[in-house]
Amino acid sequence: MQIKNWKNWFDEAGDMSRFAGRFFSQWFRPRYEVAEFFRQCFIIGYKSLPLVGLTGFIMGLVLTMQLRPSLIDYGVESQLPAMVGIAIVREIGPVIAALIFAGKIGSSIGAELGSMKVTEQIDAMEVSGTNPFKYLVVTRVLATTLMLPVLVMLGDAISLYGSYLGVNIRGVTSFQLFWTQVFDNLSFSDVLPAFIKSFFFGFAVGVVGCYKGYNSRKGTEGVGRSANSAVVLSSILIFIIDLIAVQVTDIFELN
Amino acid sequence: MAKQTISNIKLGVFVITGLLFLILLLYMIGKNENLFGSTFRLRAQFGNVQGLTSGNNIRYAGIQVGTVKKVRILNDTLIEVVMLIETKMKDFIRKNAVVSIGTDGLMGNHVLNITPVAGTADLVGDNDILPVKKMESVDDMMQTLAKTNEDVAVIASQLKNTVLRINSSTAVWEILDDKTVPQHIRSSLINVRSATAKASRLISDLQLVLSDIRDGKGSLGAIITDSSFAQNLQAALLRINEVGADADTLAKTINSLTRQVQDDLDRGGGTANVLLKDSTFARNLRESILNIREGTDGFNEIMEAMKHSFLFRGYFRNLEKQKKANLLLKQ
Amino acid sequence: METAFIIPVKPVATGTKKEEVIRIQGLYKSFGTNQVLIDFNLQLFAGENVVVLGKSGSGKSVLIKCIIGLLQPDQGLVQVFGKNIPDLSHEELDKIRMKVGFLFQSNALYDSMTVKENLEFPLRRHSIRMEQQEVDELVLNALDDVGLAHTINLMPAELSGGMRKRIALARTLILRPDIILYDEPTTGLDPITGKEIIELMVDIQKKYKSSSLIISHDMNCVRMAADRVVMLIDGKCYVQGSYDELKRSADPRVKEYFE
Repeated sequence: MQIKNWKNWFDEAGDMSRFAGRFFSQWFRPRYEVAEFFRQCFIIGYKSLPLVGLTGFIMGLVLTMQLRPSLIDYGVESQLPAMVGIAIVREIGPVIAALIFAGKIGSSIGAELGSMKVTEQIDAMEVSGTNPFKYLVVTRVLATTLMLPVLVMLGDAISLYGSYLGVNIRGVTSFQLFWTQVFDNLSFSDVLPAFIKSFFFGFAVGVVGCYKGYNSRKGTEGVGRSANSAVVLSSILIFIIDLIAVQVTDIFELN
Repeated sequence: MAKQTISNIKLGVFVITGLLFLILLLYMIGKNENLFGSTFRLRAQFGNVQGLTSGNNIRYAGIQVGTVKKVRILNDTLIEVVMLIETKMKDFIRKNAVVSIGTDGLMGNHVLNITPVAGTADLVGDNDILPVKKMESVDDMMQTLAKTNEDVAVIASQLKNTVLRINSSTAVWEILDDKTVPQHIRSSLINVRSATAKASRLISDLQLVLSDIRDGKGSLGAIITDSSFAQNLQAALLRINEVGADADTLAKTINSLTRQVQDDLDRGGGTANVLLKDSTFARNLRESILNIREGTDGFNEIMEAMKHSFLFRGYFRNLEKQKKANLLLKQ
Repeated sequence: METAFIIPVKPVATGTKKEEVIRIQGLYKSFGTNQVLIDFNLQLFAGENVVVLGKSGSGKSVLIKCIIGLLQPDQGLVQVFGKNIPDLSHEELDKIRMKVGFLFQSNALYDSMTVKENLEFPLRRHSIRMEQQEVDELVLNALDDVGLAHTINLMPAELSGGMRKRIALARTLILRPDIILYDEPTTGLDPITGKEIIELMVDIQKKYKSSSLIISHDMNCVRMAADRVVMLIDGKCYVQGSYDELKRSADPRVKEYFE
């Protein structure tokens, strides 16, 4: 039983890798589903902004308020903007945005493609002269890959604004001073690795959601399971990618 | 189709806003790291850069003017720091400006300080090498500071102890308050000195008498040549001699002591404190002064008694006669 | 089954043409160890309605998915308009698919699109250069054919099961296919709606002179629509003939369908 589980696990991992490979072999070939890609960008990117923005705002505010007491203990309260800024830009911003994104988009892609699979809509597309992989998977994976970094950037900005409000709850800092303190303590090695890893987060969410949906088993239960496992797996992958990213940046001495 | 265009606009705004923030972020960082805007290079050579690395800030008189481009080793004892400085600073930095490595705050990053120096010199050009000032590294400073702190702590605790003891000791305050003590000591010393002078004079007188007696002068020569009497007398003389010598050293010691006590009283501190720790000292001192006075008084009494003794009456009378004669001769 | 008697294929009564549009020979298809189709043979002539009758899980759906190229057969010949489907390139397959309509069992209407967009989808996807006006006209015609012109701007979720089936049919018809493949067209519908759908299918077949291959286990459907019935038992073409011929059959495995 144990061995069979492992076998299934590896089987699925291999299958998913092949699925991702199929994405790479197809995305640059015509025909290009431009309109559908933009539609997906709109749904995946723009429509996720309120959720990502809200969580980012709260994280910025809460992190600032939580860090203040310990910084006061060390007598470096004035470093609060710098510290929160680095935490948000390097780690909190990308990871929180990606997790929220996985919850919202990963599950919706999993459920949407799952139900399309179950109700033969994917077959219908193929019959209608459409490559469903390109039309459904490539557009969605590209959209998640490209939209998450944009969401992360906007989420960072909103988080920093939340942090600015958090600083001002028990102290007075002008917006300009806050801004200068944050930027003076940031470097390219803080922004770029975080920005680059958010592409991978987006890709992981897109590929996992599409894979789970595309290979959904018959029945409504299968659809639910696809959506659920898409969220779980993409959340885990986000943390694994985060781990790899920090090691890679460490190797390149960008830390 | 109208619906589609609206969502396109929203998507466009969304993406462009995100990218603008990224660009802003990168631009602000780049501005801090002097990636944009024109710069020129300056160099400085150190024996030890204390962990300065490329990207550290450079300040001219406290103003952010550039960043460290790179740190490279020229040879085993010389390390060169290449600086990127904003071009507009070419009008201000002179060739005699001194470069030093400091830290931003107590725990902050290393910074390179360019300090202007009084006196005229040409303005710097590209790739000039600026003179260097060795600064105490924060490490050394901290170590010294720690040691000093420890010493200060020890001293402070001892001082506190002393002060407490002085404060609680009434004897010391008595002595310190008593202005007559040094005077007493001085007068007693004068007494001691006069006593010793008297003693020495007495001894020389006695020697004279003895030689006279040995020579058989006087009516009582025969009696006095009694050997036992002579021996006793000799021992007494020796003892008297010793007393005189002791008194002499004692006088010296007490003399220096009084001077010190006087000094300490004038300055209100120093060894007097240590000396005066012993509360019994004052009493002893006073007693010993009294003793000395008593001793000298006793001596005088002995001398008087000797003068009136029948044995020496004649001798003293002669002596007085001689003195009178001398006086008459001098007159 | 040596006892099985094969009724020779008769020329279709209405058809003046005898053109063979689909020809399946020696088709094998298995999923893992499960042999679904074993040496299956079928012919479909132009203008003919053929019903493939069989139990659930007998491989009927597999058969038509092989015809449209959604599944690859393990072995055998699947010729549509004289071309073997498994050998075709993607472009060639798309050309065949323009001429072959497919009505899915679960309708397969795109949930995220309106009825109009659903109907436009095959027109736009098949790289057909067409003016918007022309497209609108085709959409309206197709909707008129199924009697649901008023639903043009609704979403599929707002429609009843029967309406959805009809919209799906309209979408299948919009490309004016020469062959229509129906996958269980009456499944999930009440008998009356099912009957309406079958009537619609027959009407359309008459109107456009297309041929159709219907997969079903619904005897009403067989009776009303079939020019010829093919019974799929044990992965083989067990027997074929007209409805009446099969009804008179003494074979117990055939008879159980007519009871």
